[in-house]
This record gives sequence, C-alpha cells and structure tokens, in this order.
Amino acid sequence: MKEDMNLLREIERYLEGEMSGQEKAVFDELRKNNPQINRQVEEHQFFVQQLQHFGQRQSLQAKMDHLHQQLDMPTLRKQAQDENQAAKRVSIRRRTITNLAAAACIALVTSLSTIAVLQNAAKNKSTAQYEDVRRVLNNIQRSQNALINDINNKKKAPVNPGTYGGTGFAVSGNGYIVTNYHVVAGADSVYVQNNKGEAFKAVSVFEDISSDLAVLKIADSTFKSQPLPYALKPQNVKLGEEVFTMGFPRDEIVYGKGYISAKTGFNGDTTAYQVSIPVNPGNSGAPLMDAQGDVVGIVTGKQTTSDGIAFAVKSAHLKRLLDEMPKDKGMKKEIARKSHLEGLNRIDQIKKLEEFVYMVKVYN
Amino acid sequence: MKQYQDITKDRELLLGLARSDDKSLETIYSENFPVVLRMILQHNGSEDDAKDVFQEAIIILYEKACEGNFNLTSRLKTFLYSVCRHIWLKKVQSTYGLYSIPPEMEETIPATEVVDEHSTKDEQFRIMESAMGSIGEPCKTILEDYYIQKKSMQEIADKFGYTNAENAKNQKYKCLMRLKKLFFDQYNTSL
Repeated sequence: MKEDMNLLREIERYLEGEMSGQEKAVFDELRKNNPQINRQVEEHQFFVQQLQHFGQRQSLQAKMDHLHQQLDMPTLRKQAQDENQAAKRVSIRRRTITNLAAAACIALVTSLSTIAVLQNAAKNKSTAQYEDVRRVLNNIQRSQNALINDINNKKKAPVNPGTYGGTGFAVSGNGYIVTNYHVVAGADSVYVQNNKGEAFKAVSVFEDISSDLAVLKIADSTFKSQPLPYALKPQNVKLGEEVFTMGFPRDEIVYGKGYISAKTGFNGDTTAYQVSIPVNPGNSGAPLMDAQGDVVGIVTGKQTTSDGIAFAVKSAHLKRLLDEMPKDKGMKKEIARKSHLEGLNRIDQIKKLEEFVYMVKVYN
Repeated sequence: MKQYQDITKDRELLLGLARSDDKSLETIYSENFPVVLRMILQHNGSEDDAKDVFQEAIIILYEKACEGNFNLTSRLKTFLYSVCRHIWLKKVQSTYGLYSIPPEMEETIPATEVVDEHSTKDEQFRIMESAMGSIGEPCKTILEDYYIQKKSMQEIADKFGYTNAENAKNQKYKCLMRLKKLFFDQYNTSL
C-alpha cells in the first residue's frame, strides 16, 4: 500500500516534470526495464487525461445549462411551432398540388382516349353502314360461264370469271366506259363484257378516288364504235323524280326502278344522290337514268342498315370529271348530244340501252 | 465569397470553443439551438430532447475542437444540424425499434463517423462520472480541485484544514488510488 502510493507519487512527479534530470534518467531506465511500471505510467497518464476531460466536460455542461436557462424558451417554442406549421402547410400544399396534377393528367388522358375511341367507333359505324355494291365473283357457276364461252367461242374472254365484278356504261362511242373506282381498284387486268356476251379488254385511263369514279378505255381491236343513244344530264334532277338503272348483279343484265329520295348522298355528300332503288353487289358503276333516258348518276353503294337505300354520284360531277380529263385521251365529246331515247317506252329504251351497259370483270 | 467568409467566422468560433471562451460558446449555442429545437419538435421530440441532443452535439464539437486536427469543411450550422439529426435518429431507432425513418431525415452530411467516435468518449465519461460519484467527499473535491481546477496543494490544504501541503498530498494520493481503482475496474470490464 505504502509502496503503491510512493510509486504513484513518483509517477506523478515524473509526468508533471518535477523530477530533476538525474531522477528522470533513472526513472526512464526503470520504465524501460520494468514493463509493469511502464504500464502503470501509461495508465496514469490516460487516467489523468480522462479526469481532465471529465472536468472540462462537466464545466461545459454547466455552462451550457446556464446558457440554456438564459434562452427565451417561450419565444423559441412559439417560433419553432410556427415554422413547423408553415413547413407542414407548404408540404401539404405541395402534396395537394402534386395530387391534383396527377389527377388532371389522368383525366386528360381518359377524356382524350374516350374521344378517340368514340370517334373511331363512329367512323367504324358509318363505314359499316355504307357498302360498295361490287360483286365478288368467286362463286359464279362455272356452267354458266362455260355456256357464255360456248356462245362466244370466237372471243378471247378469259375462262376465269374474275375476282370482282361491277357494272360500267359507255360515255363515248369509241370505247370509253365509266365505272366505280372501287370496282377496278387494285386490278391487274380488267375486262368488260356486254349483254351479248362479247368481252373486251379494257384499261383504266382515269381515276378519281374522292368521288369513287374511274374511266376505262376498251383496248381491243374487235370493238366497233357506235354512237351513243343517250346524253349526260348536266343539271341536278328533282327530288322524287323517277329513275331506273341497269346493272350486272348477276351474269345477266338486271333492270331496277326507283326514285330520287334525297339530294345528297351518304353523310350529306353533295356530289351524290340518295336513291330508293334495289341494288345488289355488282350494281356498282351502273348508270342511273331518268324517264327520258338521260344519265343522271352512277350507282356507287348502298346503306347496309336499311333496305332499298342506294347512293349514286351525280352526272354533273361525272361531266366535270370528263371535262377535266386530259385531252390526249382521245375521247369524243359526243355525249352532250340530245338523247335518242326520249319518247320511247321503257322496254324500247332498255333494248337500246343494254348494248351500252357492260359488266366489268376485275382480276387481281 | 460569402460562404468562405461564413466559414472563416465559424472557424474562429470553433477556436474560441476550444479555448473554453464563454462568448464563443454562447454565440454557437444561441445561434444554433433554435434550428435544432425546430427539427426535434418536427420529428416528435420534446424540448428536453432538443436540449439533450443539442448539448451532446456541442460536446462532440468541443471534443473535436480540442483535438486540434478537426478541419471544419462545412458551415458550423450544417455540421451541428446533421450531428443532431444523427443523434436523434439513433435515439428514436433505439427507442421505438422499428420506427421507420422519415425520408426527410436522410442525412445531408454523413455524421455517422463523428457520432460513433464520440460514443467511446461518452462511455469513458460515464464511467468517470460514476466513479467520481461513488468515492465521496472530501476525495471528490480534492481531486477536482487539483486535477481540474489546477489549484495548488497549498490552497487545497488551506481549504480543507490540513496542517501542511504534504498531508494534503498524501490524502490526495489515497483518493486518487481509490478513484483509479474504481475507474479501471469498470473501464476494463466494459471493454
């Protein structure tokens, strides 16, 4: 116990620098030789440091407590609360704005897509209501075709009945025929065949997609030109005027009778009439005649949702189209002449007309 | 330029703190406490929590400043704020276990190292505190006077009515040995 205390005293003197040079040298030697003493010295050094540290910290703590007492806590508290509330409000507001923006975006997308879907549906509906009356000829009986071929064995009519069929009619004596664009659209080759069973090769020389009209030219040496018995009526016809048509919904020419039921076509198309007339696939491109035997329109399609409603492009439009046609096509403008059919009864009119109405066969 | 000036001012304050300059301490304390108070209140702490956390941060700062090799790279305010945040976060996590860390509590400046370093020193302080608390008077005061207040042995002898400084010194050594024993007993077991 006594020794320990003496050692402690020595260590303290050593560390505090109270030893004389000689004493210090002796003690250093002792430290070096006796690891236990060395350890005690280090331990003491550490301990004193700890003690001082403790004191410093305590005094710091005391000072801080003192300072803290001096703080104006109520004011600080109030400030902090106010600021926190403000921050909360701002963050709430920010969150609200973010949410609102997200909601607005969703609403915008929803409404836009709804509009798009509805418009698409409306479009689908209207195209569904309208139907071209060209004919798919795949299921025409071979026997009938063969019979025709037999009769016209001199002709070069293809044995294949074609993929699609429509009707066309002559607009000039030298082999120009008008039909619907949708009949000949995408065609590899086009043949026209009259009621006598004579078939001629034809080429499309002019097409107008917007009014769904196409002009074909018979490119066949066997074709003999003959004057047209009818004219294109340049004026619009009156509502309720009686009209008739002749077309090829089957391999035989078919006569149909009806009246102009509206002055505009499908969806208010002003270049067309609405006609109450029975039409069937194959009637596309058929001429629409008035009682005098003048061409007043070209049958293009019908409404699928109701029976007996067909549409026909106005002859005035056709006339404009023919006028626009490039002059070098060599079409004779003899169509404007007066009709030869006026005053004849319907049967005679038909008899004269049927030579100029052709079945259009399309291969593709 | 402004920030540079700010940091210069903060560095001066830090030096003052290391010198135990009361004015510097006061400036640091009064300037930074409100921010920390606000932060602690915002995160479900009380005013006392704020005080504890802030004082702990100051102690850390003080220790750092005393070590001398502490280079203040950010503003003092930022440093104290992130240290406080870290301490509070640790406290909350240890108290409530699975308490989820609010995303805004994510640290601006990583203070993990600083705080972890401090915890060793804090442990030593606690041991010393309990040792000092259990040796009793007059040992406690004698040791404090000598080692902390740096009073001379003569002063202490006068204060406690010892006949001479040598007697007082003997008494001091006895006390010191007891304290050392208490301290190292606990210190070695805790390590």
